[in-house]
Amino acid sequence: MTTEPGSWGYASDFDDITGQVAICGVGDSDMSKASGRTTQQIVGQAVERALDDAGLEPRDVDGLMYVGMPEQFDVAAFHEHFGTDHDIWESRRGGGMTGAATAPYYAAEALRTGRARYVLNTFGVAWATQRGEMTGGPGETHAQDLFKQNLEIPFGWFPQPVYFATIARRHMHEFGTTEEQLGAIAVACRRHANLNPAAVMHEKPLTLERYLASPKFVDPFRKEDCCLISDGGGAYIMTTPERAADAPKRPAIVAGVGLGHASTGTHWAQQPAFTSTPAVFSAPAAFRMAGVTPADVDLFTCYDPFTIVTLMQIEDSGFCEKGAGGEFVAGDTLHYDTGTLAHNTHGGMLSHAYVLGISHVVEVVRQLRGEGTAQVADCEIGVYGGYTGPQCSTLVLRRG
Amino acid sequence: MADEQDHRIEGKITRAQFPLPDVTWPATAEFWAGAARDELVIPRCDGCGRFRWYPKPECPACAAEPYSWVPVSGRGTLFSWVVVTHPFLPQFADLVPFVPALVALDEDPGVRLPTRMVDCDPDALAFDLPVTVTFRPIAFAGVDGSVPAPMFVPA
Repeated sequence: MTTEPGSWGYASDFDDITGQVAICGVGDSDMSKASGRTTQQIVGQAVERALDDAGLEPRDVDGLMYVGMPEQFDVAAFHEHFGTDHDIWESRRGGGMTGAATAPYYAAEALRTGRARYVLNTFGVAWATQRGEMTGGPGETHAQDLFKQNLEIPFGWFPQPVYFATIARRHMHEFGTTEEQLGAIAVACRRHANLNPAAVMHEKPLTLERYLASPKFVDPFRKEDCCLISDGGGAYIMTTPERAADAPKRPAIVAGVGLGHASTGTHWAQQPAFTSTPAVFSAPAAFRMAGVTPADVDLFTCYDPFTIVTLMQIEDSGFCEKGAGGEFVAGDTLHYDTGTLAHNTHGGMLSHAYVLGISHVVEVVRQLRGEGTAQVADCEIGVYGGYTGPQCSTLVLRRG
Repeated sequence: MADEQDHRIEGKITRAQFPLPDVTWPATAEFWAGAARDELVIPRCDGCGRFRWYPKPECPACAAEPYSWVPVSGRGTLFSWVVVTHPFLPQFADLVPFVPALVALDEDPGVRLPTRMVDCDPDALAFDLPVTVTFRPIAFAGVDGSVPAPMFVPA
């Protein structure tokens, strides 16, 4: 029961920016459970590390991107953190989630016109610290929606684990997806986290047997199907490929960007293609711009709030046929060394940290440089799939 | 083009009755008024005759604005469900385990009602199971009052 693409969403009509933007520096903060730090302290640490990585000084940054959420690292925060006061171009079309993929698209114009030379994109959260103050934790943003408040939440259809367990059960019905197959995604991410000292779940191994023995708290989901709640953030610095050639580290070149939209927004209950994501719109657009196919991809990272969201994005991005995702991910397919589609090699939001996708892009860049903790052999093309529900984005990066 | 991201966190819920519905909110007041008289009513577009669920100000199919609430049979099929054993809100503490579900209405299976399955063995639920409406009070621990609401049982 799939719906024809086009009937429930669409892709943004993006200009071709392939080869116009390079990522010349990346950094992330310490990742943790509740840390007591503020979002700005967290992001500030990530930015310091990204500047070091790029061999730049704070005053070199003349473009700043983030997303319109509270406490993000805006120009005022940047100047306060670094004691600077220079002119900085500012855009809210960045941050994590889908913005971690589409920020380069909007940075391209600023770089092309010379409005900015080095554009920093950041995102961070202190949601582990703030959790107790939020309605349903990260469900807070959904609780603000009056249709949800009046038609969903009173029945207990709230928050995200409930939405996505409902989708997972339907996916199981339509396509024969199994709990073992969802478990294979959790196990692959955990194995990668076990190799990554920066991952929150670094010291906690997970086998498929242990996954299956874990209780279901929102049946069919176990807690291992759900992402962490974390304090953490990340940053990356964009410039032109010409300037990036002088950077200390090998650059990653932005090859393709796509953005897809679902017309039903976050009202998932009403999404006609209930078991799909708008990656069906964003991925073909990004691959077309990049001039590559899914078969060319060495590393696929994606925003992974729940195992089923990973599974759907793998299908919807074209790595396998729709509905074949369960069979595709079973076993070690997603493992960095023995698999055929290395996935979330830092551990993802399931096992690294819930920093909403920014660390995924940082990881792709590191992999393209050969700096991964679970390094994919000869990693040349890396992809990040961003997700919010209403939107999916796809970023194709290639080794510079 | 909706490029600005939609992930604002605007503040805490201050309505004391949360997570009970606000039966006075104009967009869904008729839904709750119908439930109070044991009637399931769904908005239908005056322009194209399609059900408009949720009741948005503009029809996604024909862009007309006016709509009317019409009674439906209360019969449908089980589209999907979950069994919640963890209370995600403190107000859900006395509720677990419970079975939030999506029911596709017989009149238009594209209309999926978020609801709760009651009086059933969760292990006996099945996809596309015929279900029928029953009106039960929604109430939460520590929240004053209750609101009659359409829930479903196996037909």
